[in-house]
Amino acid sequence: MAFLVLVALLPLLTAFIVMTGDRADQEQNAKAGALPVIAAFFGSVVALVLVSLNGPISVRLYDPDAVSNLAFPIGFYIDRLSAVMMVLITGVTTLIYRYSTGYMYQDRGFRRYLGILALTTSVLLCMVSSANLVMLFVFWQMLSYLLFLLAHNHGHPATLAGAVNTFTLLRVSDVGFLAGIILAYSLYGTFEFQTLFIRAAENPVTLALWPALGWEMNGVTAVTLLIFIGAMGKSAQFPIHTWLPRSLYAPTPIHALLHAGIINAGGFLLNRLAPLYGQSSTTLHVVFIIGMFTAILGATMMLTQNDIKKTLGFSTIGQMGYMIMECGLGAFSLAVFHLIAHGLFKATVFLNCGNVIHKARQEPSFPQIDRETEAGKLSNLTWSTGFVTTLLLPLVILLVTHGVLHIPLLESQGTVIFLFFIWVTSAQAILSLTRIRAVASWKVSAAMLSTLLLVVFTYLFAVESFTHFLYPDPAEVASYFKAAALPGRLFDILVACTTLLIVLSWFYLYAHAHGRIFHIPASIESLLAHLYVLFMNRLYIDLLYLKMGRMVLLIAHRLEKRMS
Amino acid sequence: MMRVWMMPWVVVAIPFIGAAFTPLLWTSLYRMKSLVLSAVAVTLLAVTGLSWALNEPFDGMPFMWLLPLAAFFSLLGQPLHQDNRAAWLMTLILLGSGLGILTAQGPIRHILLAALLGVLCWLIYRHQVYHRQNGVRADVWRGLGSYAVGLASAVLALVLPASLSSVANLIVCATLLPLFPLHSGFIAVLTGLPGNLPAFLVLLLPALGFHSLLLLLPNLTVTILHTAALLALAGASYGSLRALIQPRALPRLSYGGLAFFSVLWWYVADTTTAPSQAVVYLSAVGLAMSGLLLAWYSLRARYGDIDARAFGGLVYSMPRFSTLLVLLALAALGMPPFGVFSGFMGMLLNPAFTPSGSFAVIMIVWFCASWYFMDWVQELVFGRPRSDIRHEDLRRTEWASLFMLLLLLLVLGTAPSRLFQAGAVTPPASVASQSVTWTR
Repeated sequence: MAFLVLVALLPLLTAFIVMTGDRADQEQNAKAGALPVIAAFFGSVVALVLVSLNGPISVRLYDPDAVSNLAFPIGFYIDRLSAVMMVLITGVTTLIYRYSTGYMYQDRGFRRYLGILALTTSVLLCMVSSANLVMLFVFWQMLSYLLFLLAHNHGHPATLAGAVNTFTLLRVSDVGFLAGIILAYSLYGTFEFQTLFIRAAENPVTLALWPALGWEMNGVTAVTLLIFIGAMGKSAQFPIHTWLPRSLYAPTPIHALLHAGIINAGGFLLNRLAPLYGQSSTTLHVVFIIGMFTAILGATMMLTQNDIKKTLGFSTIGQMGYMIMECGLGAFSLAVFHLIAHGLFKATVFLNCGNVIHKARQEPSFPQIDRETEAGKLSNLTWSTGFVTTLLLPLVILLVTHGVLHIPLLESQGTVIFLFFIWVTSAQAILSLTRIRAVASWKVSAAMLSTLLLVVFTYLFAVESFTHFLYPDPAEVASYFKAAALPGRLFDILVACTTLLIVLSWFYLYAHAHGRIFHIPASIESLLAHLYVLFMNRLYIDLLYLKMGRMVLLIAHRLEKRMS
Repeated sequence: MMRVWMMPWVVVAIPFIGAAFTPLLWTSLYRMKSLVLSAVAVTLLAVTGLSWALNEPFDGMPFMWLLPLAAFFSLLGQPLHQDNRAAWLMTLILLGSGLGILTAQGPIRHILLAALLGVLCWLIYRHQVYHRQNGVRADVWRGLGSYAVGLASAVLALVLPASLSSVANLIVCATLLPLFPLHSGFIAVLTGLPGNLPAFLVLLLPALGFHSLLLLLPNLTVTILHTAALLALAGASYGSLRALIQPRALPRLSYGGLAFFSVLWWYVADTTTAPSQAVVYLSAVGLAMSGLLLAWYSLRARYGDIDARAFGGLVYSMPRFSTLLVLLALAALGMPPFGVFSGFMGMLLNPAFTPSGSFAVIMIVWFCASWYFMDWVQELVFGRPRSDIRHEDLRRTEWASLFMLLLLLLVLGTAPSRLFQAGAVTPPASVASQSVTWTR
């Protein structure tokens, strides 16, 4: 089965085919280059099947005991998580490659683009199948540079500036990741994943941050926090998220790959190191807070953007925040499920948005706004179904779960989290369906019910099965939820606030649709307007970084003046 | 039959013999360059023979290999121009001196070190003071002063008692392997010498300084080492900050080099060890800087000493140059799979290293390199193109020298570091104690 590690190297063949040869034959070369990518996809599927049946595949070209004597501890470890990621990456790449051969064939950098795309795929595959932390980091860094190259559009100054910004911010997170690896090796003497998890659990270490003041930190917490900085960079988490919107001038297929594959690296990293993260409640809480902030800010900024790509970009930031938040809640497998679903969805949207932009440039009236649709009649059936599916049915499910099935909800935050995600997701989808008014109300009602059923099915069966597939030991899953458990009161407040938010949203939508006017004080109106401007300008974080950079340069100039 | 003890001296003699013959071919540039390259190649072969003949490799053997290689690469791409003749001759002399310092012991080493520093003073004076019409910059005087201090220290080390002699030797090390505030000589050499000399000296001087430091390490007290570590941190921060704001390529590369070599100083002083990975790191940083300097000099040979911001967008007009420059910059800023990354990782993963507060400063310095190197390369390669300049891509020899340097950096990055074990030093018992910052 060791031959399966070659799957990661197949896209290199594509890069070679595409980049070499005569420019006149680039179309034929591009077609020929698709074959290794397709082969990599099928190889990944085979790997997934074999790994599921026979257990992980491990190939090490080094001696783990003398690893510091090797510059590159090259090794591959393909387990279920790696195999799932490999299928996702190669699947998305195959689609994007096929799309790009048609979409970009007239572009001057056609060969370069396809070559880098194939190279990036290979690096991603090597990264997800790395056998140790150092190899993972090596490919992690290569990915940073490839991302910089992919975001390049030589003739467009804004893209170039965005690419440099991307690289610089990703290097910030790389430095954090590097520091985490060094600390992990220094504390536990290994960067083999399994050995690291065992040693970290067996040898609790306390770091004296500031001995004079008695500041201490758990070793695992320090390591996981530093490594999390790496994940924050790649997954565009607040406050290292600014590179993503700035790189949006690149061609749309690149964004499909970026938003469907590369940006998931953070979620993958947290899952790969889940047993380590599961040992530090503090880190998981930090992960949760960062993820929550990013999800809220990303979604809010998305609503205020007036550019299709930026809207999608901030939507991705919000979704990544959601994914990281799931990890912070201990639902690691849910995060992987989420990233797969989001990856497929966003790749489709981005591949389509290029065509939409082209069409809008050719037809100024596109996209058309159908005003008659919005002025349609309100249906009581729609509202009743919405009310039942978002407010009554969830309550029934909750009571049945607690009372009839005897699931101790008060003791199990993990179950509450799953139920809550079901409710939030279905409510979000159902509330958006109330905007459909020109369609027969029974159809909308049916869509609402189907949505609820689909979401419940997905969470209770698909996600549960997926969780069992990725983490077959239920005790392990339970231990993550336990480690991530928030203080009881805080958890209750969060649940209560979200419940209140959904109920209020319902009443607001209902009243608004029936022509009720809410009196909002002028001061709040003014505040809302200010907030709108603030979020539209992305909280001025780009400007803040620019000013910080300028300040560093100013200090350097003053230093030079003083020294010369 | 040649005795084994004589063999290192034969190796040292070859570059000097080559240098002695060069004046005979002074008028024929092509022949002179061929002679110089041949002398360096023969030296390399002699080093190979030496390593084969010696059963046990001595300290500094990795540098014995690398110095002729660096000299060869720096000479290979040089254009045939009469202004370069002196630089070629000096390359052979400096190579011979460098190999002599690596092989010699006792007073002869000190004399050779003093001679080398004297030559450097003379070179700075000749190229940056004597021929200047419009006044001399303050940093040139500081550079001259720095090497003069080094020269005086090398002489004093011969006559002073052991305790003071080690301090004098440390000062010599600090002028060669640049340590703040004695770094000015290094900057002056890299920014002001002609031809291939900066590209060669950027490896030669730190290698010699590092080798001297290894020999000196067991004699240094904890206080001295702590002071050196603090100065190294200051130097690394200072070098990074100054590199960030340099509009011209040479000062930017020089201060970048200072920052990277300060990291090595910090590591050696902090851990009191110099494992084989430190040799990899030093060699890789030197070679990467050498490559970037050569790349810049190939542009300078075409357009003169102009501001890096004055032209850009070379990616289409000089694709071979741009590709190599980007890869060299990536190697220099510490990206895998090149030697700087491997050396740095190797050093930090060594059991002798314990992360502490100063490690955070080093991480910031490491990050800054991405900033100033990428900024420079981005402008040059992807910046606004100039249509009024007629571009000419790298010639074959220029391309070959940069390509081989890159290949060597790749080898340094991927080869097992035990190959460089000869230069490694295990912690001496007297200074090995280190306060541990955590409790298990």
